[in-house]
Amino acid sequence: MKRTLFILLRNPLSVLGLILVGTVVLSAVFADFIAPFPSHRGAVVDFANFNKAPEWPYIFGTDLVGRDLFSRILYAYRISLLLGVVVLAIAVPVGVTIGLVAGYVGGWIEYVLMRITDVFLSIPPLVLALSMMGLLEPTLTNGMLAVTVMWWPWYTRLVYNLTRSEKEEGYVLAAEVIGASRAHMIFREILPNCVPSILTKMTLDLGFVILIASSLSFLGLGVQPPTPDLGSMVADGAKYLPDSWWLTVFPGLAILVAVFGFNLLGDALRDVLGAEQ
Amino acid sequence: MLTPAMVAKASTQTLLRLDEVAVGELDPGKASDYADSILMFNVYDTLVLPVQGGPGYAPHLAESWEADGTDFIFKLRDDVNFQSGNPLTAEDVVFSFERMKELGQGLSFVFDKVESAEAIDEHTVRFNLTEAYSPFEASLVRLPIVDKKLVMENLGEGEGEMKDWGQAYLSGNSAGTGAYKVVSHNPQQETVMEKNRDYFLGVPEEAPDQVRLRYGLEAATVRTLIAQGEHDISSQWLPPEVLKSLAADGAQILTETGGGAFYIKMNTQKPPLDDVNCRLALAKAYDYAAGITMVAVTDDVAQGSPSTGGIPVGMFGAAEEMLQRDLEAAKQHLADCKYSPEDFTLELSWIGEVPIEERFALLMQANFAELGIKSEIRKVPWALFTEQVAKPENTPNISQIFANAVTGDPDTLLYPMYHSSVAGTWQSPEYLKDDKVDELLAKGRTVTDPAEREATYAELNDRLMEIAPTIYGYDRQSLFAASNRVKAPALSDPEKAFGLDGMGFSFRLMEMTGE
Amino acid sequence: MMPPIVRLLAKRLGTSLIVLVGVSMLIFAIARIIPGDPARIALGPNATAEQITMLRERLHLDDSIAVQYGYFVRDLLRGDLGISLYTNRPVTADIAQFLPATLELIVVAGLMMILIGLPLGIISARYRGSWADNLIRLLTLLGVSAPSFVWAVILMLLFAFFLPLFPIAGRITDSYTIEPVTGFLFIDTLLAGNLSAFADAAWHIVLPAFALALSGIGQAARLTRSNMVETYDKPYIEMAQSYGFPEGKIAWRFAFRPSLIPSLTIIGLDFAAMLGNAFLVEAVFAWPGLSRYGVAVILRKDLNAIVGTVLIISAMFLIVNIVVDLLIAFINPRIRYSQRAT
Repeated sequence: MKRTLFILLRNPLSVLGLILVGTVVLSAVFADFIAPFPSHRGAVVDFANFNKAPEWPYIFGTDLVGRDLFSRILYAYRISLLLGVVVLAIAVPVGVTIGLVAGYVGGWIEYVLMRITDVFLSIPPLVLALSMMGLLEPTLTNGMLAVTVMWWPWYTRLVYNLTRSEKEEGYVLAAEVIGASRAHMIFREILPNCVPSILTKMTLDLGFVILIASSLSFLGLGVQPPTPDLGSMVADGAKYLPDSWWLTVFPGLAILVAVFGFNLLGDALRDVLGAEQ
Repeated sequence: MLTPAMVAKASTQTLLRLDEVAVGELDPGKASDYADSILMFNVYDTLVLPVQGGPGYAPHLAESWEADGTDFIFKLRDDVNFQSGNPLTAEDVVFSFERMKELGQGLSFVFDKVESAEAIDEHTVRFNLTEAYSPFEASLVRLPIVDKKLVMENLGEGEGEMKDWGQAYLSGNSAGTGAYKVVSHNPQQETVMEKNRDYFLGVPEEAPDQVRLRYGLEAATVRTLIAQGEHDISSQWLPPEVLKSLAADGAQILTETGGGAFYIKMNTQKPPLDDVNCRLALAKAYDYAAGITMVAVTDDVAQGSPSTGGIPVGMFGAAEEMLQRDLEAAKQHLADCKYSPEDFTLELSWIGEVPIEERFALLMQANFAELGIKSEIRKVPWALFTEQVAKPENTPNISQIFANAVTGDPDTLLYPMYHSSVAGTWQSPEYLKDDKVDELLAKGRTVTDPAEREATYAELNDRLMEIAPTIYGYDRQSLFAASNRVKAPALSDPEKAFGLDGMGFSFRLMEMTGE
Repeated sequence: MMPPIVRLLAKRLGTSLIVLVGVSMLIFAIARIIPGDPARIALGPNATAEQITMLRERLHLDDSIAVQYGYFVRDLLRGDLGISLYTNRPVTADIAQFLPATLELIVVAGLMMILIGLPLGIISARYRGSWADNLIRLLTLLGVSAPSFVWAVILMLLFAFFLPLFPIAGRITDSYTIEPVTGFLFIDTLLAGNLSAFADAAWHIVLPAFALALSGIGQAARLTRSNMVETYDKPYIEMAQSYGFPEGKIAWRFAFRPSLIPSLTIIGLDFAAMLGNAFLVEAVFAWPGLSRYGVAVILRKDLNAIVGTVLIISAMFLIVNIVVDLLIAFINPRIRYSQRAT
């Protein structure tokens, strides 16, 4: 653990990743204390100060009803991270279990499970989530649901491939010879060896879930106002380009910073843990 | 291969480019919204036209007409040809009417009171009405005349003698007498129209040779295209900030007042707004002045003017005093309401295609919060909205609608909104059931004397203020940003205005300046 | 042709067909369990109850989902995807009209991805550890770190608004009238022999295609780099170096070629991801393609059109993957001769 941290801190890009992710997470958690206008997360209107270019105290400017963009972006991070964590918390266990079973048990179970996975993988992820969101009510919960449905198969694929190669390893054969049960094999022998890869992918994916969720709301199928959401901020602001550029540029950069941070950190973890792609 | 000479020749053609948010429906029998109306008024003609700059209706395809009891007899011009070359006859009028009735789409409901139409001779038509109906002449601006012969030659698959009534053909082709004919129609992109040089009234040289009506452009795109000289007239749905920037860049602002308003409609069948006191509380709590500020473009031009009540200023029965916020009165009403604000959360919907409505939703949320009322904002795409309102239980507590009198008569504005028989359309998400309102609406369409109509609609207005089915946001004025390459007298000179939404976009009345 | 390739192709096609049937069932099921009455939506705001009942009957909306699916498959086999309620035309006609615009965009973006991404990756690996490597790594990581709509908006703001080098919307300037033969403007303008129209179309596609390609460029470069770096550590490279082969030759012949295979797989995946991301880019640049149509029909709950669009996109996705598999098999004899079960 100490060694891992040491290697991480040696690489400036990893350090940058840590800093970015740290900033994003902290600003989401402590938004109530950092945001200059905490009430602006909700339905507040202030027509004396609407559509203002960045100036003190509105460092990112104000939106069309006079709310502070900086405060709203902080709260939007909170929603994005929450969404990312929930999606992964559901998608990873489901995907990993299916992948382990398909990869280890084999036979017709493998065939059926992997074909089902293929079906989900053959619809471009965004298209699948989009069609689901188009058909459901656009709420935070449904957004999570739609993204989760498109996400699990990728873990199934990853773990399936890992399991298949682990299966041929000597230690697995040895454990089988001494009569270990299937459940023991899957969860005690094979799974631990997949953990570095899964962990790395999760870090990277936290960024990508944020990215996909913002894409959904960009098309108007995400979280609804007045809840602050980065994707819808970009979409709404894009109508007022180029005059009110701050409405789009800051939320856009906010997405970039968060996803970039998670990517840097994921990359660093991959190098350190030696995980497979 | 295009030679340079051909390119030069092509560029002497004048081109007008405009845009609309929704895709225009080319079939005139189904025309209902603004984009459809623009297409219809240019590709097709109607028997009468609104008088420019004043009340009343002038002859157009019809030379003259007379009332015969509840019936009307129209004498047609004999010098009109369709774009196909077929001459216009009474048969075409009958066909167009029957087609509209049969399809039952678009604005066909304005002909509910017309029993049948018959051709008396080649150029005379008789409309048989079921009862006296004073707005009949007005409704004729919604009866575009279709080329029967051409349509019959192009019937698509369908059952019965008339098969599909030419729906497949007319959704992509023009069959009118109008000053412009359709060259191409791509529902995702644009409809291209060209001047009809054989138009029976002639088309002035200055009018654009070619018109491109583009669909679904983003506000930012339109803003830049106009600034770069690549676009001529914007849709009316540009947010005020964008209009402001365009005006600052030197664009002209065109206006049209089509007898319409911005309505905040309350579902009177669902708690808590089934209690009149709760509705009155909201109507008093809403900040009318802030609403006008939101749609202001410059100090003296705004997308709306203060509302005085249920009937837009300029129509029969409009009140005089401006509506104002009164928080004390609102609190009183709320105290009388049988529901307490802790027990409900209002659903405030806004139409996804109209971004300004989101801001009104936020304004209401903030206004109502001052009464202690919680609310949730919901974005609804237009298509979904029209479906939701079919059932009162699915209809949101509050919906935001821009509506206008499709024929210019208050009857076509108010009847589809408030008569209990038509509840549950996009115009009537209030589900209002009020006997007195029904009675006054019925009276308004049968009395013919203007003074009497004035009194009837004034009484209706009072009743509406008393039972508050709707918050009357503001009287609407449509604003369009336009380049200086085009002059549109019908959209800039009140003396030339039609007072009918979309008619100001008669391209034959526009002038390209050659700049 | 070599029989093993044919066998591989047959196997892949067979599997893909099963998957495609699965996709059609999935999409069909999602589309039919939604709340809301498609018939009412189709007929518009002023429809009567009778008209709605009639249309429901005509669309078989009152039958069970299984029966509806049966009708759907029957019509599909005849090449009939039903009528789009949004455009009032056959869905197949809509797809035929809008697909070329999207394909054109994706193909150009794909070319950008390969022509920019691979060289960047090669340079990065070849000069591993240098400032150029670090810069490329940073930039490519940035490329994958923002959704394509953010890039689209940023590119538009910089190069269409503030520095008006490129047009901000559409496929071609209005003044060109090009007879649509194939629907691909690049081909149609050439068929018409109109070179300035061709140039105009190319000028229009630059920004949207680049916005779409950016994350793919990043992916391709990163992957090529990491694969090449891995190969560089192999003993045979050291051997080649000690034999005094020129560095350029080593990079190309011994390091890049073997790493091409994994890169190709990812490029295939990225190409397919573009089918989804096109939804975002087309929205920003008012590109009249299938994805924009897809968004419009999804928002309108136009069932036939949703099912048709998603099916076509998924079919293309599968085709791209098969092509990539075959390409890999062609390049790598080991895979060509011993295919694994899946």
